[in-house]
Amino acid sequence: MSTREVSGLAQVQGDFQHFLLNAASTIAEQIRPGGRIPVDKRLGIYHNAYRVRLVDTLCDTFEKTWTYLGDTVFEQCASAYVETHPPIHRSLRDYGAALPDWLAARFPDDPDIAELAQMDWRLRQAFDGADAEALSLEALAGLTAGDWETLGFRFVPTLALCRLCFNTPAIWGALDQGGPPPTAQRLPAPAWLCVWRRGWQPHFRTLDETEFTALSDLYAGARFAEVCQTLSETRTDAPTLIAHYLRTWLTDGLISGMAAVAGTDVQTRISHPR
Amino acid sequence: MKKTSPGFGLGLRPEHYLDFLEGPQQVDWLELISENYMVPGGKPLAMLDAIRADHPVALHGVSLSIGSTDPLDRDYLTRLKQLAHRVEPLWVSDHLCWTGVAGKNSHDLLPLPYSEEALRLVVAHVRQVQDLLGERILLENVSSYLEFTDSVMPEWAFLGAVAEEADCLLLLDVNNVYVSSVNHGFDPREYLRHLPGERIQQIHLAGHSDHGEYIVDTHDHPVCDAVWALYREACIQFGEVAAMIERDDHIPLLAELIAELDQARGIAAEAALTARAVA
Repeated sequence: MSTREVSGLAQVQGDFQHFLLNAASTIAEQIRPGGRIPVDKRLGIYHNAYRVRLVDTLCDTFEKTWTYLGDTVFEQCASAYVETHPPIHRSLRDYGAALPDWLAARFPDDPDIAELAQMDWRLRQAFDGADAEALSLEALAGLTAGDWETLGFRFVPTLALCRLCFNTPAIWGALDQGGPPPTAQRLPAPAWLCVWRRGWQPHFRTLDETEFTALSDLYAGARFAEVCQTLSETRTDAPTLIAHYLRTWLTDGLISGMAAVAGTDVQTRISHPR
Repeated sequence: MKKTSPGFGLGLRPEHYLDFLEGPQQVDWLELISENYMVPGGKPLAMLDAIRADHPVALHGVSLSIGSTDPLDRDYLTRLKQLAHRVEPLWVSDHLCWTGVAGKNSHDLLPLPYSEEALRLVVAHVRQVQDLLGERILLENVSSYLEFTDSVMPEWAFLGAVAEEADCLLLLDVNNVYVSSVNHGFDPREYLRHLPGERIQQIHLAGHSDHGEYIVDTHDHPVCDAVWALYREACIQFGEVAAMIERDDHIPLLAELIAELDQARGIAAEAALTARAVA
């Protein structure tokens, strides 16, 4: 018996998959010849379908990045990415997670491209991310001064924060309207893209460093009182500012609930929603 | 063994969500691609819940990979069971194929060699899935573009043997039979004649792309005349079977698909008369 006959089905499937992934393969020997279609053409249908399906998936998920780069460049990038990133999940929803980092390496002089791809990815993840009821502003009405001392917040599960170095939200917005994107410009100060879903619609907003710090500390489990204290160390307008932030987060639907938090040091348990 | 046919259905696609939410349509039931709703939340599940309230649905998966030499994916099966619990489907189906090995997924419905080894593996996997879901599943014949030297029986014999030995049901894709018959040069009527009709719970109809020397199952065209003719044969042979049309690309207005579904209704009704006259 040949080696192939001994290992049988596993050998056939391994060889077939190697062929799909452009690795060395003897699969052609295991295909029945004859008929009006040559074996290499028969195999080629599968080789092509694998790539077309994955490139189409990336075009769909990274729609604005695709428009930004144009058909030719994006499809070249997507095709190259597919060659080194065979899918490992059961759903195509999960395919493309590493494309933003791949684009950052591919275009080291144009990091705006990877940043736009990151925004596409985050918005797509928010689209069918987990549901949560948003907390209403009125829910805070009955809180006592004592409640505020231990109060913390839970955030909707679709909330994600990503670092922004460019005017990426403006580029995304222009592409979404079908217009020409503005020129990519580095921001004068670092900012953060906040993505979440409200109802069925993914939303985004740009946060400055101060708002990001307050939001990410709360997300990490800090008490609201702690965040107010931290803010007051650097800002004279801290009470007004934090009241404005809280109102905005509540009306935007970022907060899903309240929690009484023990007074541990926030710095020891910080983890941003990235 | 089979459930009563719910009639004539369509694949639910996001393009038609609003049509189904607006009111009753001339569609008896809907088929969902399971993986599209195995998501954490958001619009797909909200639409599903709303549409499910007024329509029977069947779950149709593309990632079970029943014929892979990898073990079955327990996490996938758990999520499939959760979705089934949510929608209480007419039935759950997937394909007689494999989609990847060694933890990778090609997202394509790859053909199996029709060998004794593959038969034993598929039967064992079907039993595991049915034990977990607590009901018979349906397996669908896929379109294929090649055949393996390891095959020792024709596809119809393999399909029938899986159904008998694993005690599962079949989803007969008439377009896939036609596509494979052209690509491999067999008689599609011969294929139908060998199938165990008592196990055929559902029929798929779809269009394909003609590349001259071969045809590809693309679900982007209306059902062609040759597939309608084969569907008529299936109706005469198998009697009343739930049938639906799949369209996955170049998706037209719902009214256009309903008109196509009416064509299926007409063919099935005429075939029933013919079968009765012959009997």
